[in-house]
Amino acid sequence: MPTEPTSPRYWPWAVALLAAVAVAVAVVWIPVWTLRPSVPQSAAAMARAYALRRIAPAATLVALGFALALAWRLWRSTRWAGRALAVAALLPVAAAVWFSRQNHFEWLFPPLRHPGYAPAAAASFVEPGDMVLAVQVQGEAVAYPVRQVAFHHVVEDVVGGTPLVVTY
Amino acid sequence: MWDEQLRGRRLRFHLCGINNQNFVMCDEETGSWWQQVTGEAFAGPLRGSRLRLVFTDEVAFAIWRREHPGGRVLRPASPAWRSWSADWEAKIGRLPVVAGVPGADGRGPLPPRTVVLGLELRGAARAYPVESLRRQGAIVDDVGGQGVVILVGDDGRSLRAFESTLDGRRVPFFVKLRSSPGPAGSPAAAPSAAAVPASTAQPAPLASADPAAPRRWLDGASGSEWDFQGRAVAGPWRGRQLVPLPAGKDYWFDWWTYHPRTTVYLAAGGGAGDGG
Repeated sequence: MPTEPTSPRYWPWAVALLAAVAVAVAVVWIPVWTLRPSVPQSAAAMARAYALRRIAPAATLVALGFALALAWRLWRSTRWAGRALAVAALLPVAAAVWFSRQNHFEWLFPPLRHPGYAPAAAASFVEPGDMVLAVQVQGEAVAYPVRQVAFHHVVEDVVGGTPLVVTY
Repeated sequence: MWDEQLRGRRLRFHLCGINNQNFVMCDEETGSWWQQVTGEAFAGPLRGSRLRLVFTDEVAFAIWRREHPGGRVLRPASPAWRSWSADWEAKIGRLPVVAGVPGADGRGPLPPRTVVLGLELRGAARAYPVESLRRQGAIVDDVGGQGVVILVGDDGRSLRAFESTLDGRRVPFFVKLRSSPGPAGSPAAAPSAAAVPASTAQPAPLASADPAAPRRWLDGASGSEWDFQGRAVAGPWRGRQLVPLPAGKDYWFDWWTYHPRTTVYLAAGGGAGDGG
């Protein structure tokens, strides 16, 4: 009996492997697709995106486990075509495992966790007409240039003993 | 700007997504998703929780520095932030609003990307188109039964809102005009001042952004003189402080999304239109 990947004897394993790939990719791709800036978001789509983002790290690991087992099964039983399929199928699953642990929004807008400061009189990097977000807590006054906050989106700080998240 | 403490626990926030053009934060501790503009969690274990708003001003740096010479300023973390171009606001302002986003369909009294100053008081909301405020120096209004006054700073872009009630009565405010703000010591700088009703006040010349001559206001009850921080600096009420009101800038479509019953201040008619 030839051991071709198209052999009826092995196609269920190949289909199962492709299903594992589809699940892993869908779990990470659907939220990305939903959370595009260029489209509107419905409440139901946001809820689905949230649920998928939550389960993605575990779900992609489970999918990777299945995919490894199935790929091993195909590797042992097939020649080059089946082996190529097995290896190729593992790549998107591994990518999904990795991506589920990334925050791709912060690739473009890096958060600022440990901000540095200049005294007001020495802040030559701000123009007089530049807008700033200004806060005063317990007598401590801090200005956050809007352009910088817009770049980071999220700036964390402690002012007058109060931890703040500054957003724009 | 939000207080990161919730029921005694500090949360650490990240940018985690976008929801109809307004960004979503998530906290490290629970993974809940929060709407940046409302400070409310809408998904996850903390769903329904609200962060405490920390009072914030959005003003020109020159004005802030004049008021807080001992303050500190966020320093750029890396050269990368300069990739965020200086005219990013204008660029975003030219972007079309995504079809299907609430408030983006062109209904209502304002174009979707009109920048508004939003006030929310006693369950009522009102949006003030920033461009229409620029041409004025003070706007006296009523929101939810509360008398308010919006002061427009030297630059025409810095805005602050205060309660206009003093000693139980609503007080009108007027820009104190200078005939010629010229440089200090100039013989042309005649110290004559005139008060004009807020609705007809003209923008002060840019020269008044001179730190030596910040814009001032007069109240119509006592004639006291007020600065941009809402403090009476001269006159019978000297030393009094107006109660500041939280007011944030937003795009009209976004403000409308989160305040569907908002009204709109229309300077031309001098009144408020129905935004719904």
